[in-house]
Amino acid sequence: MWAYIVRRVLATIPVMAVVALFVFSLLYIAPGDPAAVIAGDQATPEDVERIRASLGLDRPYLVRFADWVWDILNGDLGVSIFTNLPVSHMIAQRIEPTLSLCVLTLILAVSIAVPMGVVAAWKQGTVVDRAVMGFAVLGFSVPVFVVGYLLAYVFALELDWLPVQGYTPFNQGFFPWLENLILPAVALGGVYIALIARITRATMLEVLSQDYIRTARAKGVGQRGILFLHALKNAAVPIVTVVGIGLALLIGGAVVTESVFAIPGLGRLTVDAILRRDYPVIQGVVLLFSFVYVLVNLLIDLLYTLFDPRIRY
Amino acid sequence: MMERRHFLKTGAALGVAAGAGGLSAPALSQGAAARTLRFVPQANLANFDPIWGTQFVVRNASMLVWDTLYGIDNTFTPRRQMVESEEVSADGRTWTFRLREGLRFHDGEPVRAADCVASLNRWAVRDGMGQMIRAIQEELVAVDDRTFRWRLRQPYPKMLLALGKNNTPIAFMMPERIARTDPFQQIAEFVGSGPMRFNRGEWVPGARATWSRFDQYVPRQEAPNWLSGGKRMLVDRVEWIIQPDPATAAAALQQGEVDWWETPLNDLLPTFRRNRNIRIEVADPLGNVGCLRFNHLHAPFNNPRIRQAVAMIVNQPDMMRAVIGDDSLWKQMNGFFTPETPNYTEAGGEILSRPRDGAAARRLLQEAGYNGEPVTMLVAQDIAWLAQMGQVANAALRSVGMNVDFVATDWGTVGARRASREPRERGGWNIFFTWFAGADCTNPASYLGLRAHGDGAWFGWPTDPGIEAGRDKWFAAANAAEEKAACEEINRAACQSLPFVPTGFFRVNQAFRSNVTGVVPGPLPWFWGVAKS
Repeated sequence: MWAYIVRRVLATIPVMAVVALFVFSLLYIAPGDPAAVIAGDQATPEDVERIRASLGLDRPYLVRFADWVWDILNGDLGVSIFTNLPVSHMIAQRIEPTLSLCVLTLILAVSIAVPMGVVAAWKQGTVVDRAVMGFAVLGFSVPVFVVGYLLAYVFALELDWLPVQGYTPFNQGFFPWLENLILPAVALGGVYIALIARITRATMLEVLSQDYIRTARAKGVGQRGILFLHALKNAAVPIVTVVGIGLALLIGGAVVTESVFAIPGLGRLTVDAILRRDYPVIQGVVLLFSFVYVLVNLLIDLLYTLFDPRIRY
Repeated sequence: MMERRHFLKTGAALGVAAGAGGLSAPALSQGAAARTLRFVPQANLANFDPIWGTQFVVRNASMLVWDTLYGIDNTFTPRRQMVESEEVSADGRTWTFRLREGLRFHDGEPVRAADCVASLNRWAVRDGMGQMIRAIQEELVAVDDRTFRWRLRQPYPKMLLALGKNNTPIAFMMPERIARTDPFQQIAEFVGSGPMRFNRGEWVPGARATWSRFDQYVPRQEAPNWLSGGKRMLVDRVEWIIQPDPATAAAALQQGEVDWWETPLNDLLPTFRRNRNIRIEVADPLGNVGCLRFNHLHAPFNNPRIRQAVAMIVNQPDMMRAVIGDDSLWKQMNGFFTPETPNYTEAGGEILSRPRDGAAARRLLQEAGYNGEPVTMLVAQDIAWLAQMGQVANAALRSVGMNVDFVATDWGTVGARRASREPRERGGWNIFFTWFAGADCTNPASYLGLRAHGDGAWFGWPTDPGIEAGRDKWFAAANAAEEKAACEEINRAACQSLPFVPTGFFRVNQAFRSNVTGVVPGPLPWFWGVAKS
């Protein structure tokens, strides 16, 4: 097991290297010029040129790439072209809101979607099943920003129950933190709930048709025990896989959700950086997201062993 | 109706979070809330060096932190600000300035003449008027702690305007150690002598920036008037809350989560008008000047008659209705300077004022030898005003048979590509769209779009000795009548050579909660004199 973990962690190094090369190259060939953005609309071409030179953007591709990689190897993600702040500092400022949003969404989604999927499988073909599947289709189809606006309109503007926007750090109190995150988490969780509920239902249906379920019934195990002790545990591997894969969905959705609810998270940082061509920030954030994604996949693989003792590494 | 602040607490009481003792919610007292002004700016404050980054949003934020030697009032007259007195020699070549007593930086150090000299040296490298002064400068020295002298080789009558103008970059005064930074490098400290201190530790670029009142600030005794007069802060704290989504900003304003929104979308104004807690006013009476910019280096727009043909079909009402909608917020402009300001003139502006004539434009294109060369039109889709201008212009040019290559892209790409002097087939361009702040177009000094000195000119690089001659006359003008005559000369020349085609003059509204008082319209948001009840 430990050897497997070490192997997988080591395997992230070439993956990250490829990501780094890809991101850097993509940004290099992408149109746009941060110097022009910095200089402003009223700047002369000479001003833009001087700023470009001062930022080192006039240096050859290989020199810039080599410098960047060397800095990363030394634990330095660079300095934002615009804010003059270290990229690591900017990421640190933004990581709590995004982490809070993603964790709350994950908890919300799993705790709603799994029972929904189980119930839908149990009541297959009934109104309950159709209602759950109808919700799943809706969850997939309605964009996050539409759900976000609707929730904000109803719960913030009309009912005045929750704030429209912003983020309160956790250390300023649990309730203010939660107040700001409920609507974004529900908005972001819609797609996720739909995805997990569908997979849970499909997997449960398959498991419920297995011989050992029939045997359990014959032995007199109750419905609850069959569903949650026998069926769900055996259906867990695909569900956990989807939860992991869905993390990418969550990160992508967080970009939109953070904009709609003005949450100062990594998603907004990424969008702002892309629009301004703030290369060090884009590179830093994409590297971080890639690393998180690789890490989550590793965790998912390890979780398999908990749910299925036949899996050994 | 259950209110927001009770919602979760009620849930807790019902057992939703029973036992969560110790998790507390901080509460701002009403008094503290009334002393904090929450403002939604036009854009993100991504950097905070008003000399290095000349975006308007940086300038507007810098006004809080850094003070100026002079400041213009609403008649465009420069008034003393940090300066107590000035003296100009009889030959107009030596200016001696004396600072007010008691001025201090936020670090407690006194403001010295040496700080001003260093600040002016840095500013003059980046500013158009500053560069003119540098070109004729003999020396700029501190005479004593409160006095400095600027000796020139020839008179510069617009000296006080240069030091007090509101166009970027503004001549802000910084401590000498900061002002010695290369003007093409960002400063690392944000210490000024203005009415507010920047809370650097609270700055989250893209989300939030805050300022606290500087208790040692010494305001002038005069009433505030734009950049001049006593900059008295009536709130203890100013918070800028960056809102990337206009719908969210609108909801936040309606809910009282923010107090003042600098640039609300016009589409949202009807909602605000129905809300008695929100007031709407024109933000800046000087408005904006829309611009269809030609590349004068390459065919087809290196031919003045083809530029004239385009000017004959650009219909400002079409443009403005697409851009701004509300007819009360825009005006036809038959000249290049900001309408309703002293230098506005329609001299020679018939090509802009007469009825649009597609047939005549088509004939002129033929006579000028236009034979279907592609016109690469860069249109930023992420800025609604520019996207609309592009759509209208695209239809107009196609209607007279021009072969438009419509490049829908983002502003970042336009910003980079417009700097290319290559022909279109090698990554260059023929037309792009932008707008100028009306405040920058009130006179030739800061009107970069109206420079026409070829390679040194703004993107598009027009050449027109007539415009430049008029500009020189304006700088040398001794009085308002001479200035106006110079502007008429510039306008006549520009209407012939067309460095760009004005697409209309338009204003935008600002919106604020009705408990906010003292908001004064102007080319930038003034925070002094603004109070909250």
